[in-house]
Amino acid sequence: MSLEPRIAVTGMGVITSIAADVPSFSAALRAGRSGLQTVSPRAGEPGPPRVLAPVTGFSWREAMERHADHFPEGCARAVKILRAAPRSMHLGVCAALQAMADAGLWPGCGDERRIGVIVGGSNLHLRSAWDAVHRYGDGAGQVSPRHALHLLDTLHVGALTEIFGCHGPSLTVGGASASGHVALFQAFTWLRAGVLDACLVLGANMDLSPLELEAFNALGALGGEGWETRPTAACRPFDRAHGGFIWGEGSGAVVLERADRAVSRGAARLGELLGVSLVMDGNHLPDSSVAGEVRAMQEALASAARVPADIGYLNAHGTGTPLGDRTECAAIRAVFGDGAGRVAVNATKSMIGHSLSAAGVIEFIACLLQMNGGFLHGTLNLDDPIDPTLDFVAGPVARAGAPAIAMSNGFGFGGFNSSMVIQRGEI
Amino acid sequence: MNALTQRVFDVVKAHVLDVLTDIDPVEVTPETSIVALGGNSLDRAEVAMLSMETLGLKLPRTAVVGVACLGELAQVLSRHLEVGAPGLGNVTR
Repeated sequence: MSLEPRIAVTGMGVITSIAADVPSFSAALRAGRSGLQTVSPRAGEPGPPRVLAPVTGFSWREAMERHADHFPEGCARAVKILRAAPRSMHLGVCAALQAMADAGLWPGCGDERRIGVIVGGSNLHLRSAWDAVHRYGDGAGQVSPRHALHLLDTLHVGALTEIFGCHGPSLTVGGASASGHVALFQAFTWLRAGVLDACLVLGANMDLSPLELEAFNALGALGGEGWETRPTAACRPFDRAHGGFIWGEGSGAVVLERADRAVSRGAARLGELLGVSLVMDGNHLPDSSVAGEVRAMQEALASAARVPADIGYLNAHGTGTPLGDRTECAAIRAVFGDGAGRVAVNATKSMIGHSLSAAGVIEFIACLLQMNGGFLHGTLNLDDPIDPTLDFVAGPVARAGAPAIAMSNGFGFGGFNSSMVIQRGEI
Repeated sequence: MNALTQRVFDVVKAHVLDVLTDIDPVEVTPETSIVALGGNSLDRAEVAMLSMETLGLKLPRTAVVGVACLGELAQVLSRHLEVGAPGLGNVTR
């Protein structure tokens, strides 16, 4: 595979339970902050109180006001779109606004037919579907005509291309919990192939209803039960007391761009995506596989023309499900061999829960913030690691360090395995 | 416009202001339309739906097809209220 053109990161935006913008996200990671809390069901809705990582105190209107001065037309379009849009759209559009502002990639900054949008995630508006079903099915209300748009995940793509005036090839891609990685894989592939010059990549929020939370619980994948009085201790990637993933709200957005184009327009290069992989297990079930994860990491390294010894830091998929954690540890040992203990490993999900479709993009941003900031964040609640041979950054305290190259893993139900090789920025 | 239609128009106007952002309330007159106010066909359908919901009316979509302005929409809705729909209480509430 050709290593040209190089793919730079020129913009980042993020909204999670611990921060609603990139600088505060970096500070929260460094501080080891937890966004987990116990949330009671809404009045009249089924289900027990659950440990979740919700985005609280966020106002999309206030976010619009912060960008209205430098992007008035786009913000006016966004306000019209968001007024009656589902929550995932609020988070996604605001994260995208941050990233595009960061990149300085406003309409007029190039050929708009060469700038695309790729959204990672499927089934993004389940909560609004639940609400519509209950309004309509209970006979209390009528169906909004907008629901016919909200049921389509491509709503995000349409909205973002309208707001930002991007008219290049654009689409939505899915890969379950690896959707963010899959979106970055698709963007990388298109940029390398010359389909696009720049691409806004969004890891979209997947807004779950009580139905999906209970389904994940019934599957045995959801954690948090028994931790309601100590919610911040509920998410325990790689700890022997791990019991499942904690759902976290959030959305992340990055602008990927041909590095030569970024240089020519004077954009800051916040990092570089060196290589990506996407491999399938051939399995529709939720269980992960060592072979698939090994292949994903190896193919990402090959794509980047790097070897395991080049990787100084690994941002693990690390959801806190027992099988997933065990599988990933085994895969890391297999890929890195004798050097496995020299790769620092942490799990961002210990702080923000599992953001499902958005996780890959959010964790991509977390990697760059750490590498550029000279720290590796801690992994909360990692008191008793299941694999003492790996170099986990355990506990709430960040470790000083500035690895030049990192790897990020993302795995999903249905046999999706994806890894990325990421280089720190030239800033 | 009789008193009932005026009250229905007030409901319609409230939902127009809810659906369309940055609209000066004085612009929302019986003679204007959603499109003239900067809205689109989706906004028009939503205003009709929300108005019917407030008024307690459940009419087929075709009942409001072809209305040219907000006053005409109010007239169509009030005609259905006059024949005994349960929404009068909602209008006056």
